[in-house]
Amino acid sequence: MQGQTISLLMSNVESIPGKNVVSSLGLVTGSTVRAKHIGKDIFAGLKNIVGGELKAYTELLNESRNEAIQRMMMDAHARGANGIVNIRFATSNVAAGASELFCYGTAVVVE
Amino acid sequence: MIILYIIASIVVPLSFPFISWALGRWYQAGITSKLMENEKILGSILDDKMSVTTSNKVSMIGAEYSTLLHVSLCVGPSMGQMFFMWLKSIFGGRLHSYDVVLDFGRREALLRLKQQAAERGCTSIVNIRIETSVVSFAKTQKSKQASVEFLAFATGIR
Repeated sequence: MQGQTISLLMSNVESIPGKNVVSSLGLVTGSTVRAKHIGKDIFAGLKNIVGGELKAYTELLNESRNEAIQRMMMDAHARGANGIVNIRFATSNVAAGASELFCYGTAVVVE
Repeated sequence: MIILYIIASIVVPLSFPFISWALGRWYQAGITSKLMENEKILGSILDDKMSVTTSNKVSMIGAEYSTLLHVSLCVGPSMGQMFFMWLKSIFGGRLHSYDVVLDFGRREALLRLKQQAAERGCTSIVNIRIETSVVSFAKTQKSKQASVEFLAFATGIR
């Protein structure tokens, strides 16, 4: 996160397609809890008059999910993995006005 | 003058659900037809060269590149529609407005997943999963402002 970019091979199937999995390093997780800027909340409320896609929320969720993935990647990187397989996502409403975005997977070493 | 003000203060809040409902129907018909156009343009291109599947038992030997694709999308019905759905839910039955909104969200999420795959040069998408969850960033519990999040994720292979 400190300016360095970690690139890992990621997939949500049981292996990395086209690569051989050498060893498994266990579960890695990443999560983030986000709340909404109140000004944007008002705009989203205005958008609710017509319904449809709520762009402000979509944006927020995308950027927080990327952060969760980044944390998971750092966790895997710290264990010396170079791939994550079987990634799953979960979203839950932990409190009024906040959402938790969670992702988890299995860190592996591939050749 | 005062009578006019009183009438306005009664009529405007009463007509708000109807206005919102009508605006919502109009706006959503617009975005749905736009989505159908996009599906026609992009769908036909992608269907030719991509195999899209929910299965993970696909032969992946010879894949030279793989990446995780994920798309999330928030949709919500309009306030007027929510009001009428609340009325409808007294009697139960099919809530048509919700059907339309949720169907739109899911199709849009899949379309964006395909677009993302096309941008990264993938030729097939495997193991697609779609998750639905209710998210609300409203600061008070009283406010009924709820939206539904669709998350679609998959592995793209080239």
